[in-house]
Amino acid sequence: MASRSQLLKGVLDACVMAVVEAEPVYGYELSQKLQQIGLPDISDGTIYPVLLRLQKNGFIKGEMRPSASGPNRKYYFLTDSGKKELEEISEEWRQIAAPVSELLKRSGTQ
Amino acid sequence: MRMTDELIEQNNNKREDLNEENLAVYEDFLVYVRTDLRIDEHASEEVLMDLLDHLLEGQQYGKSAAEVFGSNPKAYADELIENLPREKKRSSALFAISQVAGLAGWFSLTYGIVNVLLSLFKPVETDVSLGHLLSLLVVIMGIGFVGVVLFFKIIRSTLFKAKKKPLGGYVKAGLAGAGAFAVMMLAIILIPEFGPVISIEWWMYTIGGLLLLAASKIISSFSRK
Repeated sequence: MASRSQLLKGVLDACVMAVVEAEPVYGYELSQKLQQIGLPDISDGTIYPVLLRLQKNGFIKGEMRPSASGPNRKYYFLTDSGKKELEEISEEWRQIAAPVSELLKRSGTQ
Repeated sequence: MRMTDELIEQNNNKREDLNEENLAVYEDFLVYVRTDLRIDEHASEEVLMDLLDHLLEGQQYGKSAAEVFGSNPKAYADELIENLPREKKRSSALFAISQVAGLAGWFSLTYGIVNVLLSLFKPVETDVSLGHLLSLLVVIMGIGFVGVVLFFKIIRSTLFKAKKKPLGGYVKAGLAGAGAFAVMMLAIILIPEFGPVISIEWWMYTIGGLLLLAASKIISSFSRK
């Protein structure tokens, strides 16, 4: 369990950035979207430490805006350095994802 | 940027819309984050507001606070705190100074008023040695500092418990208060008179106290910018 959440934690930063890049979202929307994508073990609150970390690193930025449901919400945008970071992570992911899943699939069935 | 005070007020209003169960969890969470003095106040209030909005929206769909914060809300709060920006040194220092000035102000004001009341019955000694006065001030500052740290510790120890026992917290806080008072009384009696002697009338204490309180308020408003 612990190792799984450690692994997820690393990937989650990139997932959050990817969702935010597609469209600026506020916290609640973001957690719904991640759950819809089908990531396991995402409780609603999981995203907030991630959002704080990404803001601290300057990868995303929050801004108050009126939401579709009415009240003002803090919407998150990807910054320029966030875009660059996301590109780098995506590239890295592309390089390791296929071999790693191939390897783990084989060792799992043996 | 939203001002911190504004956020706190909005939070107070919005919180009323939480149901009882969610409110209980959220308020523990709120106090836990707010009593952590290492983190930037504005950033903490922003994330507290985000979480409150989240809870309120989830509540409409029958989601509970436990689902949002996970099975261990304290661990979750610690994770959030870890990712919040630290309070700037300058504003921590100003905050500490404003608290000391405020404490000394209240003490001086009270002392002045007590002297007036006493002077109705008997002549009051107005001569005081500078050494005694300054030592006393240091002791008060020490008590104030230890008091605040201890008080927050007691508050935090009562949070995130399945069964609330607020009485234990009150008793501990009461004992701590009594202890602080005893130490202060002992200091007044035990610290010898030394250094140059000056004469301070009751109204000087009162005015000095008011000035210190005003200064405390002004400094504290600067610490929050």
